[in-house]
Amino acid sequence: MAATLISRNSMSLVRRSVIISAIRTKGTMPSGADHATGLEKKELLAKAAGNENPFDMRVIKRNAGTKDTPNQIPSIFDKRLVGCICEEEATCVTWMWLYKGEPRRCECGHWFKLVEAKGL
Amino acid sequence: MTGHFHPYHLVDQSPWPLTAAIGAFGLTAGLVKGFHNSNFNLCFIGLFIIILTMFQWWRDVSREGTLQGLHTNAVEFGLRWGMILFILSEVLFFFSFFWAFFHSSLSPTIELGSCWPPVGVDAFNPFQVPLLNTAVLLASGVTVTWAHHSLIESNFNETSYALLLTVMLGIYFTILQVFEYYQAPFSIADSVYGSTFFVATGFHGLHVIIGTTFLLICLFRHTLNHFSSNHHFGFEAAAWYWHFVDVVWLFLFVSIYWWGSCLFSM
Repeated sequence: MAATLISRNSMSLVRRSVIISAIRTKGTMPSGADHATGLEKKELLAKAAGNENPFDMRVIKRNAGTKDTPNQIPSIFDKRLVGCICEEEATCVTWMWLYKGEPRRCECGHWFKLVEAKGL
Repeated sequence: MTGHFHPYHLVDQSPWPLTAAIGAFGLTAGLVKGFHNSNFNLCFIGLFIIILTMFQWWRDVSREGTLQGLHTNAVEFGLRWGMILFILSEVLFFFSFFWAFFHSSLSPTIELGSCWPPVGVDAFNPFQVPLLNTAVLLASGVTVTWAHHSLIESNFNETSYALLLTVMLGIYFTILQVFEYYQAPFSIADSVYGSTFFVATGFHGLHVIIGTTFLLICLFRHTLNHFSSNHHFGFEAAAWYWHFVDVVWLFLFVSIYWWGSCLFSM
C-alpha cells in the first residue's frame, strides 16, 4: 500500500517535472524581460523605462519642505514612521509618526505629508 | 491596494523543512543504529526521504524563480550571498582536514617511525592517476567557463555541449577515484596516514559527486529553457561550487598526494 503510494507519487512527480519548460525557441535563447515573468518582469520593465527605484527602497531626499510644498511620504498604511535628518551635520535622526490627512512639521521646520503609495 | 510594494519573496507554506528534518533524523539515527547492529535499513530510509525532499524543495525554488518570476534583483542578491557563505563554510570544513593532515605529517610521532609516509605505508605515485585527475578537473574548469560564456551569448547549443562535457569530466574523475580506492595498498584503518588520506579525499569525492549532480540539474534546466542570458544564477552557483571543488583538489594533490608521498624522517 505504502509502496504503491510512493511509486505513484514519485511517478507523477517525474511526469510533472518534464513539463515545467519555459518557452522554447530553436538554438537561441530569449534574454532579460523576454524571458522573465511576474514581479521580476515588472521590475525589469520599470528599470528599462528609467525608474531605478521601482520599490521605493531608497532614502527619500528632502525637498524645500514648506507648508505649501511638503515632502511627500508614500505609504500603504494610514501612518508611517518618518526619520528626518534635520541638518547635514545632525548626529541623530529625529523620528515622528506621520498620519494620513495630517501634514506635520518636524522640529527643524520641514513639512511632511502622507500620500498613498502606488507600488509596482 | 494593488501592486507590489517591496521586492522581497515572502515564501509560501511548505512541507519540505519538516520532511527534511524527518529525513535527517532518520539518517543520523539509522547510521548510529547501523554501526551498532549492522542493519542500515533506517539509514537508507532517511537518505531516501532526504533525496526526495531535496528534489522537491529545489524544484519548488526553480518554479518560483523561473515560472512565477519571484526572483527580483533583491532576492537574487540574497541567493548570491547565501551561496558565498555556504561555500565559505565548506572551505572551513576542508581546512580542518588539512589541519589534521599537517598536524600529523609535519612532526610524525615515534609510533609512525618518525617519518612520513609512516613506516610500511606504500603511498600512491602522485604522477600517475592523481596527476590525470588534476588535468581532468582543470579541463572541466575550462568547459564550465565555456558553458557560462555560451549562456551569456545566448548560444543554446554550445551551452548544452559544454555543460554535458563538464558533467562527463566530473563522472570520469569519480570513476578514476573509485579505481584508485580499489587499488589502494593501505586502508582508512592504516595509521593516521590512512585516516587523513581517506577522510580528506573521500569528502572531496563526495563533493565532486554533489557538484556533478548540481551541474547535471543545470543541464536539464537549460534544456527546459529555464535560463536567460542575464538571469541564470542556478548555473552560476553550480559553477562557483565546481570551482571550489577544483581548488580543494589542487590543495589535496599538492599537499597530500605529492608532498605527503615524498619520504622524510625526523
